[in-house]
Amino acid sequence: MLEWIYRGLSRGRVTTRYPRRPEHAPHGFQARVEVVHPEGGGPQLAALCPTGAIAVAVDGHVTLDRGLCIVCGDCVRAAPDHFAFGSGYETAARARAALIVGQAAGLDASASPLRPALAERAGGLRRSIHVRHIDCGSDGSEEWEIQALWNPYYDIQRLGFFLTSAPRHADVLLVTGPVTTPMRAPLERTWAVMPEPKALVAVGTDACGGGLRADDRTAVAAARPTAGGVDQVLPVDVYVPGSPPSPTTIMHGLLLAAGLLRPQEAAS
Amino acid sequence: MSMAKPKAESEAGVLDRIVAAGQPGPEGELRLSVPAAEFEGTFRELFRGGARFITVFRAETPGLVWTGLFAFRGELLVVRAPVDDRAQMPDRGMGRWWPATERAILELIDREGAAAQAGGRGITRPDPDLIERSVEGLDVFTIPFGPVRSGIFEAIQFQIETGGEDVASLQTRTFFKHRGLESRFAGLRPEVAVHVAERVAGVAATAYACAFSQAVERALGVEPPLQAQRWRAIYSELERMACHLDVIAKQAETTALYVGQARFQILKEQVQGLRARLTGSRFGRGVVAPGGVRSDSLIALDDLSKAIDGIERDLHRDRRLFLGTASMTDRLVGSGHLDRALIEQYCAVGPLARGSGVSIDARHERPYGDYQRLGLRIVVHREGDAMARVNVRFGELFESLRMIRQAIDQLRRRTGELSMPLPVNGSGTACGWVEAPQGELVIWVEITDGVVRGVHIASPSFRNWALFDHAFPSDVLTDFAFIEHSFGLTTAGADR
Repeated sequence: MLEWIYRGLSRGRVTTRYPRRPEHAPHGFQARVEVVHPEGGGPQLAALCPTGAIAVAVDGHVTLDRGLCIVCGDCVRAAPDHFAFGSGYETAARARAALIVGQAAGLDASASPLRPALAERAGGLRRSIHVRHIDCGSDGSEEWEIQALWNPYYDIQRLGFFLTSAPRHADVLLVTGPVTTPMRAPLERTWAVMPEPKALVAVGTDACGGGLRADDRTAVAAARPTAGGVDQVLPVDVYVPGSPPSPTTIMHGLLLAAGLLRPQEAAS
Repeated sequence: MSMAKPKAESEAGVLDRIVAAGQPGPEGELRLSVPAAEFEGTFRELFRGGARFITVFRAETPGLVWTGLFAFRGELLVVRAPVDDRAQMPDRGMGRWWPATERAILELIDREGAAAQAGGRGITRPDPDLIERSVEGLDVFTIPFGPVRSGIFEAIQFQIETGGEDVASLQTRTFFKHRGLESRFAGLRPEVAVHVAERVAGVAATAYACAFSQAVERALGVEPPLQAQRWRAIYSELERMACHLDVIAKQAETTALYVGQARFQILKEQVQGLRARLTGSRFGRGVVAPGGVRSDSLIALDDLSKAIDGIERDLHRDRRLFLGTASMTDRLVGSGHLDRALIEQYCAVGPLARGSGVSIDARHERPYGDYQRLGLRIVVHREGDAMARVNVRFGELFESLRMIRQAIDQLRRRTGELSMPLPVNGSGTACGWVEAPQGELVIWVEITDGVVRGVHIASPSFRNWALFDHAFPSDVLTDFAFIEHSFGLTTAGADR
């Protein structure tokens, strides 16, 4: 056992300093897709996206909905003039509309107002926040990234976040997956028994907008395998897009949910 | 036991007739057409002849065809029986040969039924509140454990029938996460459909992308360039390392060996970080595509080899400490024992099978891509307990490191194309297979005029979860977590 202690100590500190210092992604990391040139797009751009995240207005203005984007890069490879991979981790947002990038200034993520109700709720949480997770049909990678938050590298306990196994003790609920039919009732029940104030965080593109779910628009509503996003079932406080979002992005989302980031920090 | 195999020689005549009637498909694939009435009989012959069942499903090309997949004499045997209409279903009684067959047929029947009557519940739409069996006896009760569980785990339910401590019986219920992904492939071009494959089981994204790409390449008669095959092997082995390290870290966590847990989590994070530096994605997504790989690695080969050396150094020391910690190993030795005969009955694959002395590995049985050249030492332990499965994983970690190094050497020696174009309007059907970190994964693909028409996924987790019901012969409730982690399966892959 002593040898383990020596082994643990001898490796020194590995923990990231985020959020006090910015976390830099490795060169070429594909954290998100940016619209680098929103003007002059044709309708063929919208057809590039397998999840319909790209929209082109009649005047040729291009927007991209990160709540639907699975960061597959098909658009970046086919239309590098308009799209590029971005390495910034901080993509979480408080409103669904704020996930749409390429919009005219004023509508962008930076300007999204903090919902008053959430501000009140978050005020009560402060620095000892208990987190509960529920899987509603993710592909399994989101769970790995959430688990990673408690590993020595990200160590989110240093920021006051603790994992709890009882929803009755939880302040924040992390939901992954597009909400499959069998998981709908367990999700609603888990949310219902959590005490106020509480916040719901949708983790991953699947949870934000459905992602690459089965194309079920033609099917009868009751026969669809998924609800197509958590906000189709419950009100979502923070959206964390990405397929899967990296641990730093989830940390950003948790800090937003707990109201621990001041508005100007949240804006970056 | 009624499942015991009769002597192979007495059946040799029948089997040889079956094999002789088969048509060779793409390399390594033998195809056999039978009338629907003989579908079940062929299963019986194959069972007697020692074939291993993989899956059964309905294909759409050229018409409606029941299709059974088997691993048989080092080849993939595809048994096909044309049927007249969708309502026609194979007999549930076919499950008597392998228990795995019954579940696969149930799923097939269930899916068709669910499509016909919206809202209907079956195994693909489980009811979390339903206790399936009532139990009787003094102080005996059923614990419905899941689908919402403590910790950060995927949704799955275990109905544990217990008298308080011992696990009298257990039922594993999957499909809480069924997303209907197989139908999502239809109508996409293969290079787009690979994104769906990567998201079936996210932690095995590279394995799914490789299996799907290989199926497409075999269906269209395209050979990916050598350099691409080498990169695929490197990405696949890194993924295997991440999955195995994840299992080992979780084993350390359940025995409260927290420094050990932290050490293996750091190693896993290093592997994930390395994959991010190589491919731009922590899960190696977006790189493997039908025809080859999409782009060259983002870092130099020297940096990759340096990173590999560092990981190996740390891994050696941490393994020695881990295996020398009695509080850890005592909990694992003898826990969750699986008999070799059980593995064979349930057609289990992967580290689970190799921990019970069954030496099956798709990389060896039907070598694909770079594994035809790399040479693989299969790590097998006979004990069949959780410790054996950890030892298999440790052995495979070092084997992966060796293969990565060998592939790097080969990559250094030459340069070349990374991708081959696919024929624009190609058609065809074929299987692709890989050894995913959880075990053998087979994907069947139908392509018509350059567009994917149908896909069926035989995931290792689907087959292996069935064995979990039998993993508690002499174990108590507190052993649950060790045994579950020692399986190392994904729910997303099983549910699709």
